[in-house]
Amino acid sequence: MQNVDHFENQKEQMSGASSEYLTFRLGSEEYGIDILKVQEIRGYEAPTRIANAPHFIKGVVNLRGTIVPIVDMRLKFNCQSCGYDEFTVVIILNLRQRVVGIVVDSVSDVMSLSDDQLRNPPEIDSTIDTDSIIGLGSLDKRMLILLDIEKLMSSSDMGLVT
Amino acid sequence: MAEVQQDSSGSGADFDLSQFYQIFFEEAGENLDQMEQMLLHLNLDTADDEELNGIFRCAHSIKGGAATFGFSDVAELTHKMESLLDKLRRHELKPNSLMVDVLLESADASRALLACHQSGTVGQGPATGDLVRRIQSLVNGEAVPAARQVAPQQPPTVEVTPPNPAKPAGDVPDAVGNKPSAGRQLVIRLTKLQQVEQANAVMELFRDIPGLGEIKASVAADALLDERVFEVHTTSSNEELLDLFAFHVAREQVVIEELSPPVGAGTNAPDGVPVNAGEPTAVAAQGYGFFDGAPGAPVQPVAEAKAPAVAVEVSKPSAKSGGAGFVQPEAATIRVAISKVDQLINLVGELVITQAMLAQNSRTLDPTIYQQLLTGLADLDRNTRDLQESVMSIRMIPMSVVFSRFPRMLRDLAGKLGKKVEFVTLGEATELDKGLVEKITDPLTHLVRNSCDHGIELPAERVRAGKPESGTITLSAAHQGGSIVIEVRDDGKGMSRKKILDKARERGMDVSDQLSDAEVWQLIFAPGFSTAEVVTDVSGRGVGMDVVKRNISALNGTVEIESSEGYGMRVSVRLPLTLAIMDGMSVGVGSEVYILPLSSVVESFQVRSDAVSTVGQDSRLVKVRDEFMPVIELEKVFQVPRYDTERTSDMMVVIEADGSRVVLLVDELLGQQQVVVKNLESNYRKVPNVSGATILGDGKVALILDTAALVRRSRH
Repeated sequence: MQNVDHFENQKEQMSGASSEYLTFRLGSEEYGIDILKVQEIRGYEAPTRIANAPHFIKGVVNLRGTIVPIVDMRLKFNCQSCGYDEFTVVIILNLRQRVVGIVVDSVSDVMSLSDDQLRNPPEIDSTIDTDSIIGLGSLDKRMLILLDIEKLMSSSDMGLVT
Repeated sequence: MAEVQQDSSGSGADFDLSQFYQIFFEEAGENLDQMEQMLLHLNLDTADDEELNGIFRCAHSIKGGAATFGFSDVAELTHKMESLLDKLRRHELKPNSLMVDVLLESADASRALLACHQSGTVGQGPATGDLVRRIQSLVNGEAVPAARQVAPQQPPTVEVTPPNPAKPAGDVPDAVGNKPSAGRQLVIRLTKLQQVEQANAVMELFRDIPGLGEIKASVAADALLDERVFEVHTTSSNEELLDLFAFHVAREQVVIEELSPPVGAGTNAPDGVPVNAGEPTAVAAQGYGFFDGAPGAPVQPVAEAKAPAVAVEVSKPSAKSGGAGFVQPEAATIRVAISKVDQLINLVGELVITQAMLAQNSRTLDPTIYQQLLTGLADLDRNTRDLQESVMSIRMIPMSVVFSRFPRMLRDLAGKLGKKVEFVTLGEATELDKGLVEKITDPLTHLVRNSCDHGIELPAERVRAGKPESGTITLSAAHQGGSIVIEVRDDGKGMSRKKILDKARERGMDVSDQLSDAEVWQLIFAPGFSTAEVVTDVSGRGVGMDVVKRNISALNGTVEIESSEGYGMRVSVRLPLTLAIMDGMSVGVGSEVYILPLSSVVESFQVRSDAVSTVGQDSRLVKVRDEFMPVIELEKVFQVPRYDTERTSDMMVVIEADGSRVVLLVDELLGQQQVVVKNLESNYRKVPNVSGATILGDGKVALILDTAALVRRSRH
């Protein structure tokens, strides 16, 4: 299925404007972020806790000499369960000279979405600020929530920047 | 630039500049390269201001540096180039290819001259007199290309302006011999000299610049104390002499009188177009066997006749610079971006951590079986340590970079305050991390200013107190263990204990007469504290010492004061050698590890529960040798989760910061180690009570405590 998707996406890439997204799962929801913001993907390791930080900031880890804060997206988006096991994945993002890691349940795929597959963001009240949603991606029966991860991470309630 | 030039002959005359030579040569070389590039890319028709300004700046930088270091030949040449470029950038002249040629040649000549200075073979450089002359004529806008005669070298303008034809005499000894007959006899009076050395520097000019003429100090009956009178025999115009002298004395200080007015109408030439141009040129030309007739007439035929002569001259430097005498020294240093060095330091830091991890894991291995592996690990240990040391030393620069700015500042300041101050520096070679050097400059400037303003008395006052008229301020730097100690010492009036106590009470501070001297001196670090009777623009506003203290504390450093009334005071600043590595003490709280800067740890001990008393239920105090100190429980400050309810914190660490002490309550002391300080803010944000983070041997991140913040916390 995914292979077919991929093939079709490639065809679309040639025909119309499209951009690539890294998709990941949080609970049952599927999200996509701009692939160019992703530095690397690695397994979860216990971070060093930072006192008085927001609950979704798990702490900081050592990424080859750089101190990187770790944000648990599942806590941020109020997911029911957020256990840590060997499949828990950290996506290291590179946002405007800053390096931040986000914890997600799993990483699915890299997808190319053309403009006609994009829908406007819904006007609903949710834990995610609708400003930081670029739009919804429609893929057959699946729905991708496309996040403006840079905006999300630099918003003041994330506590990542002062 | 101007102030630097003056300094070189003024107060800085006894200051050893030679240590900066290398830097100057490198920079001048870069500037020359850059200038050459820009000249080559210069589009003559569409040259924009930015390009011309860029070229001008290059020439200007070289001139300034050369003048400071006393390379007068380079300075003279670049000065001329600068004049030409200045006219170009102000659009008084239009650039043409002739100018570019001359400028490029001048750049080559400057390079050759610099190479001579660098290799210490002064005097063997190419003659620049001709280039100087050609540029001058271009500046005067008299360039008339006579391409027919001298296609490659293009010096046709010489005919009109041979300002000091004797200059190339280095190559034509005859010319020197013949020249006096054509020269002028001048009396030059240097007035209002601040230092006699300035006059000597002027005399040296005549010695250093071949063909400039002869100078003789003369004793004039009417000369004032700050005047020097010279008899000068030269062929140069007044304007040129003034230009040259300007490196040492201001123009208005120089009075030139003519003893024997030269023949010819050119005497009154206002714009520096030289006097009696013809005769000397003729002499110079005769040296080459050219030019037999029509001396001095500034007409085209002359130029044609003379041009080959000049061409010969010009070709000399280029021929020489290609020869063995002018081997360009290999660049002994390279400039790299500081970010690359930091990256290297970062990587080495990683390596050190990995090495520590390996060492830790290999400790359990049986040495009889794994002997080779363990020997290898021991080697790795030593090598990483050496590597780390060498890498750290890249960032180290000598303190002289900071110290060198003070003589000038003190001289001005002392002059303004009417004081006499001698400035002594010791240990300028002591090396310090570049980042620290930048941050220590301002606090040090303040301390030195303070010493001059508050410490050193007025000359009369000093004499009354039986001290030498001029005070001494000593600035010294030295390594002591893992830190550097910088001292500012003066032999002024010192601080008055009574005055400070009075002032403190006046400001409503609660102080008793029983305070120890050291504690009294610490009072001056309070914000807004000043005992100066008069607020000057130098100091006395009371902002300062507290800022000094804060800045130095921020660098993990300490300030100590010793003072003795009537004899002076000493301020010692103790700093870690680098900001990147710190001696830390690791403490355990619950299952977490925190690092304390060792510089702020005073002592640690195990506490008995009966030594702790409470104030208002939750504030706790502990008695340490008759002193009650507030207790800060790290467990509460950092909300450390406690899984093992049986265990309680019972280790106490006394820390000192900002002059006060508090006790930290922790679970256990884990050890001391050097830690590589990492910034938390680069990817995260400022965390309260934490100054940074580091990576432990097991790859985990540990937070470094901000002791100053913890101490402040206990005060509120």
